[in-house]
Amino acid sequence: MARSPNGSDTTTAARRFVSTKVEIEGREETKIVELPAFEPEPWGEEVSLDIVGSRVHRMDALEKVTGRARYTADVRRPGMLFASILRSAVAHGRVTRLDLAPALALPGVRGAVGREHVDGIRVDGVQLFDQAIHYVGQPLVAIVADTQAIADHARRAIAIEVETVPHAVTAEQALAADAPRVRPHGNTTRQSPRVIKRGDVDAGLRDADVTVTREYRTPVALHTALETHGAVAEWVGERVTVWESTQGIFNTRSDLSDALEIPASNVRVIKEYMGGGFGAKNGASHATYVAVVAAKRLGRPVHCMADREGEQLDTGNRPATIQRVTLGAKRDGTLTAIRVEATIALGIGGWMAGPGKIYHEVYRCPNVHTSETFAYTNAGAMSSFRAPGHVEGAFGLECAMDALARALDMDPLALRQRNYADVDQGKDRPYSGKHLDECYAQGAERFGWDAARDRAAQTGTLRRGRGVATQIWGAGGGPPAYASVRLNSDGSVEVLTGSQDLGTGSRTIFAQIAAQALGARVEEVRTLLGDTGTLPYTGNSWGSMTTASVGPAVRLAAEEARGHLVEAAAEMLGAAPDDLETQDSMVFVRDHPNTSMTFADICEKLGDVMIMGHGSRGPNPENTAIAAFGAQFAEVEVDTETGQVRVLRIVSAHDSGRIVNPTLAESQLEGGIIQGIGYALFEQRAMDERLGVPLNPTMHDYKIPTMSDVPTIEAFCVESSDVVANHTGAKGLAEPPIIPTAPAIANAVADALGVEVSEIPLTPWRVLAAIAQAR
Amino acid sequence: MNLTVNGGAYDVDAPDDETLVVTLRERLELTGTKLVCGRGECGACTVLISEEGEPRHAVYSCLTLTVACEGQAITTIEGLADGDELHVVQRAFIEHDALQCGFCTPGQILAAVALIADAEHLTEDDVARGMSGNLCRCGTYPKIVRAILAAASDGT
Repeated sequence: MARSPNGSDTTTAARRFVSTKVEIEGREETKIVELPAFEPEPWGEEVSLDIVGSRVHRMDALEKVTGRARYTADVRRPGMLFASILRSAVAHGRVTRLDLAPALALPGVRGAVGREHVDGIRVDGVQLFDQAIHYVGQPLVAIVADTQAIADHARRAIAIEVETVPHAVTAEQALAADAPRVRPHGNTTRQSPRVIKRGDVDAGLRDADVTVTREYRTPVALHTALETHGAVAEWVGERVTVWESTQGIFNTRSDLSDALEIPASNVRVIKEYMGGGFGAKNGASHATYVAVVAAKRLGRPVHCMADREGEQLDTGNRPATIQRVTLGAKRDGTLTAIRVEATIALGIGGWMAGPGKIYHEVYRCPNVHTSETFAYTNAGAMSSFRAPGHVEGAFGLECAMDALARALDMDPLALRQRNYADVDQGKDRPYSGKHLDECYAQGAERFGWDAARDRAAQTGTLRRGRGVATQIWGAGGGPPAYASVRLNSDGSVEVLTGSQDLGTGSRTIFAQIAAQALGARVEEVRTLLGDTGTLPYTGNSWGSMTTASVGPAVRLAAEEARGHLVEAAAEMLGAAPDDLETQDSMVFVRDHPNTSMTFADICEKLGDVMIMGHGSRGPNPENTAIAAFGAQFAEVEVDTETGQVRVLRIVSAHDSGRIVNPTLAESQLEGGIIQGIGYALFEQRAMDERLGVPLNPTMHDYKIPTMSDVPTIEAFCVESSDVVANHTGAKGLAEPPIIPTAPAIANAVADALGVEVSEIPLTPWRVLAAIAQAR
Repeated sequence: MNLTVNGGAYDVDAPDDETLVVTLRERLELTGTKLVCGRGECGACTVLISEEGEPRHAVYSCLTLTVACEGQAITTIEGLADGDELHVVQRAFIEHDALQCGFCTPGQILAAVALIADAEHLTEDDVARGMSGNLCRCGTYPKIVRAILAAASDGT
């Protein structure tokens, strides 16, 4: 179906390298990228594919169900030592005495890594093992021993004394007039407040018939991946191999290269399997540096994984926000103004993922003004967490939209449809593809949004309600990304790309794309990924970018390999290459299917002559916004006596372009929704503000959803293929499903009670307090 | 002391305070059993254990002392399949895509094996209750429920 790359004109591009913009986790970066040698026929909606779009089983499932999948925590090397990190128990102050002698004297202890060994290595702007203390959980020193048990025991034997000074662990404390200084230059980022605006918000509010103003609060949420951050490092001479639980092998490599001032080519980073990332594992962490430095110093491989408490205290979080929101609208619901003042508690560092951006994106509105103040606090640094900023912002925006709908006495879905944005207003440019209208329509249909309410189900103290919320996320991916596809002498196929499979299914997705483009049986295709030492570059698996970034490169590599294979077959079959087709791992003459050879026959005949193709990801279209869209509908039951909220069902409709594997897509959507339920109902890092100590760095006290908390979930993607975005038509969908879940639930709770609860998680006491206040 | 794991006898020299998860992972290199919370909160370290001739039940190996396991038969995820023949629960997990990152999967599967063995007729609610001690951060729960119900009906 796609034409042979060899038949196409490979010199159509006047320029070989072009500048292009790539959006990563909501930020835009300019990159100079290579144009692919040829552009294949796009897989548009009208193109029917048999392998892409099919429910192929997850390809690494066998390894995972048999315990054979080897994660970083499971890596064992000959002579390997284990490290244990001592962390600060106070929020602010300094170490006045650190005596390692009692620890080093224990049998089996091999050494320590301290401040003097890591000069210049900084994580989130803080010197590793800084003896000035900035937050609870800050690493102070590490002990290395023959076993983890000995290392942990020795760590507890360290004699330490500290002096404390006043701390600021919340944005309110950090921004108070007499606040203690958290960072040397002040308690806010230099860019604070970050103001983004279009139109004239004051004029828009004057034009409004109705305005609503609310204040929303969102908690610090913790990623709580089951596998903690960590690495195993092993040096040979000046070269180091690092097994790392990471979403970005190449980012980890460059972090290490920069920090250790060694060439990137001397650092090999391997990630075969990882136990969850969710945005927190995008480069080298404290544990990585400890493993690498300790292994160098002691001349033996070193294993360093954060323990669970360290993971919960110090490997990133979704920062807390306070959002003061004013919406203005005409009587018919047309938005005239959106104004937001937000405060974000970054912790000791991190980047500026704020809630403001989504307010500019979702609805048509000429006048939008967002102002975000990012405060440093004496707590673990934020990091990206599944749709950073948008999850927090969607809660404020979408709850405010429902407040507006109530003020207008309008159906909440109708209000959203009234303000449908056809273009990306921030930059006044079209979307590559947008089917949010179909998400609204099909989601409402499946949910029964227009159906009469079943008031009979409301008995005693139980009240039922329904809510809806919208999401947008820039899931278009982009360059650079590279892949190779090779055929082995038995006709089997390997995809080689330096990407990562976080449990998202990338291995399977790439194999499906390659099989489709090559005309191979998908069972014959394997994906090799996760090794900077042997595989071509791709970026981090973040920003819902992997399928849309790497997928097109894999497709091009497979198309090129197909071209070579067909030429070899033409020679063997005595046919013209253009007359040959490929399917089911066979090459055959069009209209003469009996004149054919299997891939295995061709490759066997070729012997050691190798069929191999290479592909790269081309630039995104100019002046075009690329995004994934979706709408979620929630039904809840609230017990007005206990304040308990139970989610009964979620219907989730998404537009992420062409779906490569519907089963994997459903798994991603369900997973995002379930994390969203946790964010809505249970999850919050509890902080003793007086002591500056997080109270729940465990998996029991930090409440993530269990199987009993899961409602009926109906998650699906509307039919589409976004070939303006890229030639596979696929966009990302890892982050989108978590964005609208919490506001859909909160809106359903408000619908059930007639009372708004404007702070999540919607704990029983918050619900009861809201009910009491309304009486 | 003697430890029977996946049908094999091992002579291990575990101190009195060593937990079973550490013995399995560090002494026997059976790293399919995962250590996640270390305090009985997440279920990732679940293994099956039985007295001679008794049915297998699930335990958190992070809360089980190795010295207390003498004379008992332990099954880890590596020992669940019969050679290359996967256990019905393993097959169901693949079939229903009941895993994502896979880190909780060994514990989920072994807890499910014990749950199915203990119950006559499993309902969705039984599964939700029975499996709530096994956390999955990827949110694979809906598919795990389906896999377990399918495996339970296959097995009867």
